[in-house]
Amino acid sequence: MSLRSFVTRVRTQPRSWFRAVFHRSRLEADMETELADHLELLTVDLIRASHSPAEAARRARIELGSALVHKEGMRASLGLRWFDEIAADLCYATRILRKSPGFTAVAVISLALAIGVNATIFSLARRLLYERLDVRHADQLRLLEWTGTKGRVAVHDVWGRANPLPGGRVESNVFTYPVYQELRAESHVLDDLFAFKDTVMNATIREEAQRVETEMISGNYYDALGVRPVLGRAILPSDDAAPGQGAVAVISDGLWEREFGRSPAVLGQIIKLNDVPLTIVGVNPRGFTGAASMLSSPDLFVPLAMQPLVSPASWDGPHELSLLASTHEWWVSVMGRALPRVREAQAQAALDTQFAAAVRATETVRAGEEIPRLDLSDGSRGLFEQEKTYAKPMTVLVTLVGLVLLLACANIANLMLARGAQRLREMSVRMALGAGRLRIARQMLVESLLLAALGGAGGLLAGYLGRNILPKMIGNEQEHTYFAVHFDWMVFAFTAGVTILTGILFGLAPAFAAARGEVAHGLKETTQTTTRRRKGMDGKALVSFQVALSTLLVIGAGLFIRTLAGLSAVNVGFRTDHLLLAVIDPPESRYPAGKDILLHQRLEQAFAAIPGVESVTAATVSYLSDSLSSTDFLPEGEKYDPLKSQGEDYNLVGDRFFETMGIPIVAGRSFGPQDTRTSAKVGIINESLARARFPWQNPIGKLFQTSLHDMHGHDNQNTNQTIRIVGICSDTSYTNLRDEPPPQFFLPYVQQVRVGAMTYEIRTLMGPEAIVSELRRATQAIDPDLPLVNVRTQDEQIAEDLQQEHLFVTLTSGFGLLALALAAVGIYGVMAYSVAQRTNEIGIRLALGAQPQQVRGMILRESTWIAVAGIVAGVAGALLLARLIKTMLYGIAPYDPLTLCSGVLLLLLVALASCWIPARRAAGVQPMEALRHE
Amino acid sequence: MGQELDHRQMDLLQGTLDMLILKAVSLGSLHGYGVLLRIRQISGEGLAIQQGSLYPALYRLEHQGAIASSWGESENNRRAKYYRLTAAGRARLKQETEKWTRMSEVINGILRATPEGA
Repeated sequence: MSLRSFVTRVRTQPRSWFRAVFHRSRLEADMETELADHLELLTVDLIRASHSPAEAARRARIELGSALVHKEGMRASLGLRWFDEIAADLCYATRILRKSPGFTAVAVISLALAIGVNATIFSLARRLLYERLDVRHADQLRLLEWTGTKGRVAVHDVWGRANPLPGGRVESNVFTYPVYQELRAESHVLDDLFAFKDTVMNATIREEAQRVETEMISGNYYDALGVRPVLGRAILPSDDAAPGQGAVAVISDGLWEREFGRSPAVLGQIIKLNDVPLTIVGVNPRGFTGAASMLSSPDLFVPLAMQPLVSPASWDGPHELSLLASTHEWWVSVMGRALPRVREAQAQAALDTQFAAAVRATETVRAGEEIPRLDLSDGSRGLFEQEKTYAKPMTVLVTLVGLVLLLACANIANLMLARGAQRLREMSVRMALGAGRLRIARQMLVESLLLAALGGAGGLLAGYLGRNILPKMIGNEQEHTYFAVHFDWMVFAFTAGVTILTGILFGLAPAFAAARGEVAHGLKETTQTTTRRRKGMDGKALVSFQVALSTLLVIGAGLFIRTLAGLSAVNVGFRTDHLLLAVIDPPESRYPAGKDILLHQRLEQAFAAIPGVESVTAATVSYLSDSLSSTDFLPEGEKYDPLKSQGEDYNLVGDRFFETMGIPIVAGRSFGPQDTRTSAKVGIINESLARARFPWQNPIGKLFQTSLHDMHGHDNQNTNQTIRIVGICSDTSYTNLRDEPPPQFFLPYVQQVRVGAMTYEIRTLMGPEAIVSELRRATQAIDPDLPLVNVRTQDEQIAEDLQQEHLFVTLTSGFGLLALALAAVGIYGVMAYSVAQRTNEIGIRLALGAQPQQVRGMILRESTWIAVAGIVAGVAGALLLARLIKTMLYGIAPYDPLTLCSGVLLLLLVALASCWIPARRAAGVQPMEALRHE
Repeated sequence: MGQELDHRQMDLLQGTLDMLILKAVSLGSLHGYGVLLRIRQISGEGLAIQQGSLYPALYRLEHQGAIASSWGESENNRRAKYYRLTAAGRARLKQETEKWTRMSEVINGILRATPEGA
């Protein structure tokens, strides 16, 4: 075939084919007309050749031949034949599937759930753990980290994460600003180093006070990341040149949409950040989430040089508000791009040397202190802080959904096998009538694919729903850590592919078995088989496998349910109902030390005056919200010893704290109005602390010292004074429900130098939500720029603490139920089929004198063996896998006997129940009928 | 057609029907029966064409773009489908004619060969 005719064919054939398919009735009419014309003209010619009209018509018909055959040939010429056959197969497959709605429903639903659940969980895992920052060549980004021995490393004040590593080491990704500058000036093994710091600040945007996530960035940040604002300009090196100079901000796409309705007039508008006016100069592109996280974007980006104004550090006294010159405060994160010409190890070694030099050059390293070691780590996911939170749960979830996928595949395989066996006779009849093997295989393929398509569509729907629901179960609306999960088409394609392939494989297996077999044998094959003969895989092994998976999932669900129940039953030690929590964080610039305490006192009074409020207290730590404050607690006579752990948890509270929270004072007195700024310093300890530090003594009246550190761990010289214990309260939970109530002590906040942000705990008479607007009004009346943030009830706070457990209980119970249902269907199907096959055998047994209950027992025994084999395998698997989730459990061991026993019992019950009907049917067989049967 | 079989008529060689159809419509557009008549006429009744196989061949050629069809009036004033050669069909006819000519020359050459040295 020449190229030209090939091109012509490629052009005309599809067109001709589509015309034929879409104008089918016209095509048929045309063919009819054409052949009729031919016949007529031929007849006329034959009459002219002196045949009688009747004879001419007869001869013409013979000469032309069968119009049906010709039309078939014409259709084949147009490439319509396979289309017609597939359409017929599809029509037949639809009819077959509609004829057995039970089978279709089970197959489609299990396919849909498996595909949907997998697509959802894998998309989520990918979003949380594998996606990269949306910047040019994110894979080149390297994050600088250091490691050192805890307690010996020459890093004292860390504002950021310091993660403990095994072996008493600690790891962190924050540096002092001078060290960053040294590294940037000296280092040539990475492309330009840039620095950033994420923190939450009070902002006033369009006259509304709110908390916003802010990223303070170095001037070269945008250039190094290769990000260009969609509107306006980026933050430039000139903005970051001198402290306090560049009063500009770039805003996120989210803030632009939320506050400014995507109006271009946003440029040049003034916002206030901690009371400092900033001009908006640019808007970030939509996908950009900053350098710290790939999950959600900070709302504001400001130059690091603005730090002394927007985020002053007053903890070292008013003379050192700037961290830019601080040589002891480690706080900025540093990233750079890898250079292709420099090898990783080489870059790391060079940077480590420069880093050690920079540390020595900028701070005085004391004797015995160790210089931290610098490491280069992957920066393509930012600081990747969610890894610690989500890596483990996601691994467990991914394993679970993997099991669900396996289960669905087993289920589909089982269903397809059973159907194949049922249709063996049909296949034999088809082959006897002349169907080719390929033709039969194709028909089975069409059926499998139709089923798969239905399942896939269902899966798409389930995946879409899951995508919208899951982030809500994981995200946290109060803290705006809300992020979108993109539907992952790769994952969808993969799971759909796996399940569909399973369906096709097991759908085709019986077809091939039929095709291999002798036609006559297949036709003779009837229920008249008295001996049991295995016909390939009879599905029992598959059912055992399903039971094993179900056991695994049911035990998993049991463990999580027991964990949640255990956590919900924890006595937290205070009244959690009718308690509203809200945070006020006064900016340092406006409320320096002393003024903040006055503000909190005013707010306490204002809130207490709201109708419906029973009592109010402020506290620096809110309970069960994963926050804690800890500092050295030194009873009189004990000296500070850096090698000993002398730290205890504490809380700075208002004088109505114990009353509001409902924490009983077991000895001594509570705080009261008599404890003022100038009166003698007092403290209250809880029973655990009394037991731990004052064994066999009465702590009341005892003195202690505390070198109070503030929340960043800075020595606070002013509070270094003696405090008298005036009371003992009962124990309460502190950071979360899982930990035992720790030793704690309490100090009145009014006796402190500075407290900063405080959580208001408000006991209400009616529903706590009713007074939120009153609270906001009261706050506005005192300072319109002060936002009331993180408003939630204590019960909501606890629910949030238990969010992960709730999620796991919901998902694992769902999976467990699904697994049980599938296993039940599997057992029922296999046993029902087996009983139907063995009607004759059973009839003979009964005729020979077997009792119905013996027959019933026989069937029950058989299915029990299938179940027991599966359960044993499942329990073994559960014991193996449960160790993985040990840290996620509460109050029970991974081999919790109660859970294991109830799981096994449940599975046995389900197995017995699902084969009860087939067993009864077997027992009810009438011998005469059975023997006459077919 | 069996009874009609003239002993002088030859059966069509496999694959040559397409070429004959292309040749027939290259002389002017024809309807299906017309194609049959023209081939008979040119061949001097020397070729037997299965009448039924004509139509699948016509449809195949049209599907491949070698001929095109349009509806028009037939001699007896009825709607009839007329086939005509397209540019691609013309090229194909030329190509197949050359191939056929070469082939028949080669085969003729073989058949004319006389024993060596005879």
